[in-house]
Order: sequence, then structure tokens, then C-alpha cells
Amino acid sequence: MSYQTGMAPVRAIEDDSDVEEEALVADYKEQVQYGGDMDELDPGLLAQQADDIQARLVQAAQPLDYQATLETKFQSYDNYCALFHYILNSEGPVDLEPPSYYWAWDVIDEFIYQFNTFCSYRARIARQANNEEEAQILRDNPNQWGCYSVLNVLYSLIQKSQITEQLAAMRRNEDPMSVAGPYGSKNLYRMLGYFSIIGLLRVHCLLGDFSLALKTLDDIELNKKAMFARVMAAHFTTYYYVGFSYMMMRRYADAIRMFSHILVYVSRTKNFQKNTQYDSITKKNDQMLALIAICVAFHPTRLDDTIHTALREKYGEQLLKLQRGGPESLPIFEELFRLACPKFISPVPPDFDRPEVNVDPIDHHLSIFMEEVKTNMWSPTIKSYLRLYTTMDLKKLAGFLDVKPEELRSMLLVTKQRTKQLRWTDNGLLEGELVNISDLDYALQGDLIHISEAKMGRKLVDWYLRNLARTYA
Amino acid sequence: MNGEDPQERPEQIRNIINGLERYNPQAADILEAYLQQQCEEKFCDCNANRVLLKLYQLNPDRIKDEVITNILVKAMTQFPSAQFDLALHLLSPSHSNPGPNSSSDLAEAVSKLRVLNSQLEGAQYARFWATLDSDDIYADLTTDIAGFEEMIRLRIAQLVSQAFREVQTSVLEEWLGLDSEDEVKKFVIETCGWKVDDNGIVHVPKNPDNEAKKTEIREDVTVDMFSRVIKRSWEDSA
Repeated sequence: MSYQTGMAPVRAIEDDSDVEEEALVADYKEQVQYGGDMDELDPGLLAQQADDIQARLVQAAQPLDYQATLETKFQSYDNYCALFHYILNSEGPVDLEPPSYYWAWDVIDEFIYQFNTFCSYRARIARQANNEEEAQILRDNPNQWGCYSVLNVLYSLIQKSQITEQLAAMRRNEDPMSVAGPYGSKNLYRMLGYFSIIGLLRVHCLLGDFSLALKTLDDIELNKKAMFARVMAAHFTTYYYVGFSYMMMRRYADAIRMFSHILVYVSRTKNFQKNTQYDSITKKNDQMLALIAICVAFHPTRLDDTIHTALREKYGEQLLKLQRGGPESLPIFEELFRLACPKFISPVPPDFDRPEVNVDPIDHHLSIFMEEVKTNMWSPTIKSYLRLYTTMDLKKLAGFLDVKPEELRSMLLVTKQRTKQLRWTDNGLLEGELVNISDLDYALQGDLIHISEAKMGRKLVDWYLRNLARTYA
Repeated sequence: MNGEDPQERPEQIRNIINGLERYNPQAADILEAYLQQQCEEKFCDCNANRVLLKLYQLNPDRIKDEVITNILVKAMTQFPSAQFDLALHLLSPSHSNPGPNSSSDLAEAVSKLRVLNSQLEGAQYARFWATLDSDDIYADLTTDIAGFEEMIRLRIAQLVSQAFREVQTSVLEEWLGLDSEDEVKKFVIETCGWKVDDNGIVHVPKNPDNEAKKTEIREDVTVDMFSRVIKRSWEDSA
């Protein structure tokens, strides 16, 4: 990995975004390398050192077999509790080095993943009510993988590591070590604390608290220099959950910006991805494309060429139907949402005695989302008609659309109201400016609709610079 | 009007929202009292109310039905926005989606409120007032919220002003849920400060939203855009 040493100083001086991206790509190669090292670990050796704390650290980052029994899942939970207890509640900071740069992410990721699958599994057992034996075990152990304890671990890691204070210091261009304290100055705590923030983003989103999810990231700047950007999976996860939360808050422009950013990045690094990692990334990639399709239907906008092509290849037909709107688009919205949403969970144990009252959380969130979809479903039709005129009589348009004038009045109001959206400018992810995001605007004078369309001026300077760069490249 | 983070929010509530205190089940009492205050003093703090819903989500034994419905009604007054939905997402799935076999009072109330909210979100204001009148349960659900109808009416008027330059009194009569043209005239003149002409047409003053002006989006050019070209020419000549 000799190129690494060569890269480091360049990264420090250069501020140009392309160079940064190259550095990221190089980092990614390093990560792929890391995966290779792990595969070579001798399983026999691991077993011998089972008591060894280093081995436990490695163990905690390993995925659990997905067919694991309840007993194994409980055991895994206890192992995590013991490990985090050791890390958090020993006398003073424990003297351990994380096995690798990516370890902290893997641990937090796996911890939340197991929590997520456990909750989903428990809810399924309650709904299906055909496995009395497991239902009884789950009923007797309501505190296994409890939501409060998962949140507690994440918050404790954040607090112990003073990561919030460290990130704030970094923003002020000060030395984070000056505020890190005895724990946060250690690699192990700093990394765990940092990735716990991203873990929280994910947990809040899984519980349906989208604004809190975004608030969690207040201290992390979403740019290529962010620490998470060095770990591909973390980078990917962060943008997926931030984008999804934005979408659920009806901030479609921001959601598209998030998804686009990460998808362009993935397409740039595609060539070095190893097969196993590539599978999970492909799946999330497709999910994010589906979410972009939904957001673009709500908020038509020009996409990056790479993404536009990928979207047409993968969901071309669906996108067309979404953009056409109307009742035919509803099942497509549903299909794509189900395919692309996180596996929502309910934080409390289900009611095992009354299976019929346990509603799948996905259905719950979907039904709320679909309400907004239905409210908006005529917008594409209305807009496509309005684009043809500068003035139009409301009753005449109602005739074209075959609706009553008063219904059309409501549709016009809805469509106009939705063109105003909060859009991020800087500071926290929840902040933003209320802007008009549509190029089409109209106002009513009684039954007369006045329509105006914003014209795009030609981007001459952009064109000139692009061609200049190409010619001299 | 800021229903997400209002100025009225006291220090104590701010600390709960921003700290770990938000997970303390005991904070529910304080937040419930604060909700009561919002209901009486006609302001809305959706952010704080979501903290309360979150506590209920994690501690279902603390749930008070009327608190949940009050939060939803409060969030509804913020239409059109995602506030109602964001609150709904925090409810237990069984509370917001009554199944055929199960129907608690809370689930029924929530589904009634969802109907109302979707009418407001869908700008079907005439239907909203009709629905509100159709069932006594709505009076029960909104009784704690001081000035509920008045707030909705004002909000509708504000939204109308953002889309209309002129509008017939008859349309407003239905949309504002008023009983006669005279009441409409009184409302738009006294409360909104608009004018009504002899033909019963209401004139809304000009504002940036009801103008629908033609605009041209121009390219933003900054010095930074040239940095690479300049750098290159510097390097080449050096």
C-alpha cells in the first residue's frame, strides 16, 4: 500500500474537491484491502483466544448468522452488553486499540442491525401467532434487546467520548484533543462515539422519528472530509438515512441532493468493489434509485446524467407512471416505498395475546406517506396543462380534466402550496430557507388563472469553462 | 408563526428537548402541562410535542388518549405542512391504523382526525367544515384547543391570499365555513383588511405569492469558478 504514503501530504494541502474525491477513492481501495486481511484470519486461532479481549472486539463486529436461534440472539445481546459495560464502566478508560479503522463502524452497525432484526422478528412472531414456543420465550424476556438499553449504549458512547465537543472544536478549527478528555483522546472511544452518532440517526429513523434523526447529525458536517466518508459503508448508510428522513419531512429537493451525492460517489468507486461488499451496496443503490424516483415525482428536477441513466434503466417504466400521476401511480408509489424504506420497528414488545392488533410498522408509515401521495396525485396533470397557456379559464380547464370547478380550485391550491419547500442552505440539516422550487407559478383572479413560467437563462460561463477544461485536459 | 420552534418555548422545555432529559418518563408531566399551555394560549410547539409522543412510544403505560388527540389537533392547525404526519409516525401502529377486529377509542379518534387533516392538506376546505359539523366527536376532540376554528379560518384566509388576487364571496363563504355573505364580508374586511367591491368580489392585496411574475433564472458566476483556469495558466507560465 505504498501509494498511501504518497497520498497523505497531498490530501492535507489540496482543497480541490476532485482531489479530495481521488483521496476518498484511494481510501476505499485501502478498505477493500482490509476486507482481504480479515478473510485470512484463522478461525481456529480465534477460538483459542476466545477469552482474549481483542478477540471479543473482533467478534463483536462479526455478523450473526441470519438463521440464528433466539438463544443465540439473546446470547449475542448479552455479549454486547458485557462488552459495552466493560468499555464504558471500567475504572478509567480501557487501554485497547481498535483492531482496525473500520472496526468501530462494524460494531455499531452490527449492534443496530441485530437490534433491528430482533424487533422485526419478535413482531412477526406475534402477528403470525403460529409459534407458541418462541412467543412464550419472547413474552418471558421483554427486556431482551430493549430499545432503552440500545439508546443508552449509543448515548453513553457519545457522552464518554466527548465526541460532540470534539466535533464542535474541529468546526472552530481548534484542536479536538483539547476538549477530548481522558476517554475521547483514545482512538477506541473516539471512533465508537463518532459512529454512535450515525447509529442514532439510524435508530431514530427506524422508530419513525425523522426530525430527531436529522437533528442527531447537527455536529457532523456532511462533506467529503467527514470521518464517516473514510468508511464506505458508513458513508453510504449516512446518506441513505438522511435522504430518507428528508423525504419523509417533504423536503424532496434536499432528499434528492443526498441520494444523488452518494450514488455519484458509488458509481465512481464501482470498479474496486469486491463482490461480497458489492452485493449489499447494489441493493442499497437500487433502493436509493427508487427513492429518487419518488422524490422526482413530487419535485421534478434535473438529475445528474449518471443517475438519470441508471434510473431509466432500473425503474424507467415506474418513473414514467409516477410522473404521470393520477390513481394509476398510487400502486407504484407503494411498491417503490416498500422496496426502499428501512425496516421500521416498534420499540415496545408486541401484544402476543392479541395477534390481530399488531400492525406491521411498515404498513403504518406507508399509510401516512400515501396520504400525502394521494393529496398530490393530480399535480402532474395540472402542471402539464398549465404549461400550455399564459391565461386559462378555470371552468374550461375543469372541463378538460373532467372535474367540478370547485375540485379544480382545491387542486390548484394544493399544487401551488406544495411548490414552497424548506431547502437547506447551511448549518444544521433541519435548517433551511423556504423557497419556491417550481419553475411554474400561477395566481387566480376569480376564475381566471394567470400562469407564468420561469425561463432558464443559458449557462454560458459554465459551458465555456467545461469546454476549456476539456480542451486542455 | 413558527409551529416547530416557537419563541414562547420556556428554558425548561428547551433543556428537555436538547438533552437526555427527553428520555426521562417523568418529563412527560412537564410536557403535558406545556401542551395544556399551548392549547390555552393559542401557540404551537410541535417539536416539544413530539418529544412527548416519543416518551409515550417508549413508555406506553403513560399514554393519555386526550393528550395524543390534542397534539394531533394542534399539529393539524399548521397545515399545509408535515407536522401532523410527523406526529402520526410516532404513534403506535395499532393506534393509527384500526384493524377490523380491534378498535379502541383512541384508534377511532385518530382515524377521524386523519380524515380532517387530509381535507385540510388537500385544500378541500368546504368539505372540512362539513365534516367538522357531521359528528359530535369532533367537538369533543377540539374542545381543549382554544380558538381552533378561528385559527383554521385565519390560516385558510392566509393561504387564499397566497394564490388569489380576486375571489368570489360565495367561494370564501364555503371555504371559511361561514354562514352568510355578510359574515364573509365582515371577516375579510375586519380581520384580513381586504376589500370587497359592489359585485361581491373580494380583492386581495398584491403580495409576492399572488403575482405570478415572469422570472428568468440567470447563471450565478463566482470568482471561484475560474480558479482552475487561472491556476492552470499560472502553472503553465511558471
